[in-house]
Amino acid sequence: MKKVLSNRWFILVLRPILGAVFIYAGIVKTQSPQSFADNIAGFQLLPNEVINLLALSLPVFEIIVGVMLIIGLQLRIVSMSVLILSIVFALALGSALTRGLNVDCGCFGDGKPTVFKMWMSLGRDVLLGIAALIIWRLYSFISNPRPVESEALGDASGV
Amino acid sequence: MKNVTKFGKDMIGVWLLATASICVALLINQLRDHPLPLVYASKTQRMETAVSKVAPVVAPVLATMDHPQIISLEEFRDLVENKKAIVLDARPEIFHRLGHVPGAISLPREDFENVYAKYKGLLESYRDQAIAVYCSGSNCEDSDMVANGLVKLGCHRVLVFKGGWDQWSGAKLPQEGQ
Repeated sequence: MKKVLSNRWFILVLRPILGAVFIYAGIVKTQSPQSFADNIAGFQLLPNEVINLLALSLPVFEIIVGVMLIIGLQLRIVSMSVLILSIVFALALGSALTRGLNVDCGCFGDGKPTVFKMWMSLGRDVLLGIAALIIWRLYSFISNPRPVESEALGDASGV
Repeated sequence: MKNVTKFGKDMIGVWLLATASICVALLINQLRDHPLPLVYASKTQRMETAVSKVAPVVAPVLATMDHPQIISLEEFRDLVENKKAIVLDARPEIFHRLGHVPGAISLPREDFENVYAKYKGLLESYRDQAIAVYCSGSNCEDSDMVANGLVKLGCHRVLVFKGGWDQWSGAKLPQEGQ
């Protein structure tokens, strides 16, 4: 298992998938920042002064992070960002679940809030966090990620 | 020790990325047709603002205000089929275009003040008659908010079909739209 997770090909596949997920999530949210702000307000965690700022900035942050993941820019910082986002999302969802709130996370646009969907979102956040942690760990232990990727591609093509 | 330093650098990077995102987001917001205000207002607060913009003096109406009544699918169906009421769709306009109850007029909660102005004459002529409002289903608040807004604007017989579009379409009743 450890071998698979540290496999360079696995990371090369994981990165664009994770990036695409974040770009999609960001684009969906930018379509209707007011709806996303309503979703954030539903969690009853933040003051009104912060909600709209978060509803506007978070989608942009997700899109930037997604693009950087795909093109392979500053991967340690980007994967750390994804990890922090996933932890924050998971904590917010966990807190809403424990308080018995039925909220739509607004992660991928609007939807009817159900407890099942909230658990699904929580599970997805955990998976995203694990994926980010795998990438961060790999790129933390190599000084220059670029040649490693080239090496991986080179190995596979028999160069 | 080296990893701790790396971790610190990464955190600074995350902070810079977040700051850049905030700056870009605020810039994009200013370029929008309707920029989002910096301080959040709840749906109810936004609805109250919309109502006050439509009719700045509502205080006398509030004193004698009727409350919206909840109606069942059968009652709503009777109103629609026999054209006994004006039917309003409180869902976002895009959903109305995709499919709606026959004869329903789109009056989205989110764009209440602008769309109300468009149908002001019609709605004011129905002040003493039945006005039925629906949205997507039992979980949505839009029909309640629009109904309360109409009551504040002086409509006396506002009815809310709580089952909404979900119950109507689920019962395979006639639809209009794309």
